[in-house]
Amino acid sequence: MQHQFDAIVVGSGITGGWAAKELTEAGLKVLMIERGRKIEHQVDYDTETKAPWELPFRGLGDAALYAREYAVQRKNRHFNEFTEGHFVNDHDNPYAKDADTDFTWFRSYQLGGRSLTWGRQCYRWSDYDFGANKRDGHGTDWPIRYADLAPWYDKVEDFVGVSGAKEGLAQLPDGHFQPPMALNAVEQAVREKIAAQWPERCLTVGRTANLTEAKEAEGRSHCQYRSICARGCSYGAYFSTQSSTLPAATKTGLLTVVTDAQVEKVDYDPQTRRVTGVRWIETKTGARKAATARLVFLNAGAFNSVHLLLNSASEAMPNGLANGSGVLGTHIMDHANTLSVIAEFPEFAGHTSFGNRPTGIVIPRFRNLETLDGNGFTRGYSYQGGALQSGWSRGKRMAGTGTAFKEGLQQVGPWRMVLVTFAESLPRASNRLTLGKATDPRGVPQLEIQFAHGAEEHAALADAKAQAAEMMSAAGGKVLMGMDRPGPGGSAIHEMGGARMGWDPATSVLDRNSRAHQIANLYVTDGAQMSSSACQNPSLTYMALTARACAHAVEQIKAGVI
Amino acid sequence: MTGHIDRREFLSGAALLALALGVPAAAVRLSQIADDDLPSPRQRLLAREVSQIVLPRTGTPGAGEVGVGDFLILAFAHGLEDSRAPLAHSTDEPLRADGSLDHLAWLERTLDRASGGDFLGAAPHKRAQVLAALDAAAFPPGPPPADPSPWAKVKGLILTGYYTSQTGASQELRYELVPGRFDNDIPLTPEYRAWSSDWTAVEFG
Repeated sequence: MQHQFDAIVVGSGITGGWAAKELTEAGLKVLMIERGRKIEHQVDYDTETKAPWELPFRGLGDAALYAREYAVQRKNRHFNEFTEGHFVNDHDNPYAKDADTDFTWFRSYQLGGRSLTWGRQCYRWSDYDFGANKRDGHGTDWPIRYADLAPWYDKVEDFVGVSGAKEGLAQLPDGHFQPPMALNAVEQAVREKIAAQWPERCLTVGRTANLTEAKEAEGRSHCQYRSICARGCSYGAYFSTQSSTLPAATKTGLLTVVTDAQVEKVDYDPQTRRVTGVRWIETKTGARKAATARLVFLNAGAFNSVHLLLNSASEAMPNGLANGSGVLGTHIMDHANTLSVIAEFPEFAGHTSFGNRPTGIVIPRFRNLETLDGNGFTRGYSYQGGALQSGWSRGKRMAGTGTAFKEGLQQVGPWRMVLVTFAESLPRASNRLTLGKATDPRGVPQLEIQFAHGAEEHAALADAKAQAAEMMSAAGGKVLMGMDRPGPGGSAIHEMGGARMGWDPATSVLDRNSRAHQIANLYVTDGAQMSSSACQNPSLTYMALTARACAHAVEQIKAGVI
Repeated sequence: MTGHIDRREFLSGAALLALALGVPAAAVRLSQIADDDLPSPRQRLLAREVSQIVLPRTGTPGAGEVGVGDFLILAFAHGLEDSRAPLAHSTDEPLRADGSLDHLAWLERTLDRASGGDFLGAAPHKRAQVLAALDAAAFPPGPPPADPSPWAKVKGLILTGYYTSQTGASQELRYELVPGRFDNDIPLTPEYRAWSSDWTAVEFG
């Protein structure tokens, strides 16, 4: 069969960009398909340099419009009048939920996907994470360990540009870092006081995909400390498809990009037991198009890649493509996420900082490492957050009118420290994706989400709240409040799983190379492949797994297997 | 209740205000307001006056002077600060057609009652007193009230309107789009003015 392309990559976000880069750089002719609109680096970041007074709703956005068309996205703290163009229109892109499910699915349908809006935190997983399922019996054992991924983490970090501090922690391995951003005065003091009382607990600055050193060869400047990343960054100072992987892939001359194209199905040939290409709907015209390739990579985002597999059921594979195991769609996860503590630090009133650091701090997991010491949970949690001084908006909570009130708000407000917990989400068969009965406006069945956090996640958040308060008090803070109930599913925007990796084709969808057990030329390298969730932000791991899978695919082509 | 202001008159007034203040048209873009949501001329004046009392002229212009009154009208028409959520309980307060509280009508009625009939006709010091009393009742010491006064949303939007205006953001406070560096620990002196462009600080209050 004569194919139009060597490879088709579905999706242009964090992993799609990596797949396009790696495959084109290996000499493959690649088609990358994106369901959303084209956004050109630097040219199309329309609101990047706008001031609030230049926008009709001063940056808050049109709440009436948001209620009608962005009913879910508006709940995202990064969604506002500056960034609304980088989030999906919920009205046009509906999804279904089981009656008992509360799930906020935050999405970005555009060239670059969520790489434009992501939180940029980059953390390696460790063998505590890859060994977790085997250790406590939840989920299925990962068919890889840290050693399999370490060289790929190196490669990915070098290209992405991750700033961070080496801390020598087994549970959060060091990587190839650019120089770290600095802790502020309160964070530095809290780090020292926590370390003095709990030597195994380490507060360190967030490891973030914001450059502290320019990558001039790639046209990327160092961070300007604006912290308005989600508007798009013309400096190319944070890693996105647009700033990084797309230029690299484009430079090869082997990349074709199609936007405004919603992939509907992956075609499968039961004779050869290979996928042969994909079909899509042009969202602007409704026209149906198709292309063929020797190789297909799914990088549509965890839930959308699963959706595509489910929707690609055929006579030969009636339960969904590559779903011989029957587990496709099951064991989805999202970190249980809550604000564990806010504490005041009045003794730092004589200190402030200048510039907007685009990352906070992290306190890596300290539970259930060498010994299982969690009360009611066997996995980990970690904190992210930081110390900050309040601004004028504190006045919304304060009594006062007139001159003294106005003059008071001219001052920098008091220091507060915030710790937000991300607790590991257990892989459960009951948390799953299916095709719903209703369709989207283009006639494609909606994805239906069934999800609930379990007792382990609640226990972890309860411990996290108690420990957060203890640490803040020990560090001299006055605890104001804290919570131990998770937000709705999806709150962490770390939704993952549904096409899990595993040793056994009878109980998993993908093999140890992110390739479908049943189909030798189909790879799924976004969050769908995850067998467990750890408690770290997952994007770096998705990128490393993607680069690794691409190398495997290229080997298979060279060996004549694909 | 006085009748709704004539739409054309209202919009041209807004444009004149913009011209007079030298603020960009976006600051007072009221063409996006449905007829039903247009306030009476008196309510519009009240919104301006109340904004100015909350954040008066100091070394910089006050909130009323930079068009925050009209921002309030736009903000309430479009439901900012969740101000158009239908009320859960029955009330004799003025409602909009969608069942949400008409904040400007509420404000007008509340202030008129508290000042013995005509808030706008009262002496300046009396107006400031009446508003200060309303504010103090809405923000008592201790934890925030379970059923907040509508004043909390009015006040919140006055602050938003002012500190996101060019005057409030870049003259009263400081605005720097491109800091270019991060100084992690510098002395905080009483003369140090806060940054309206510290987005995280603004977001978390």
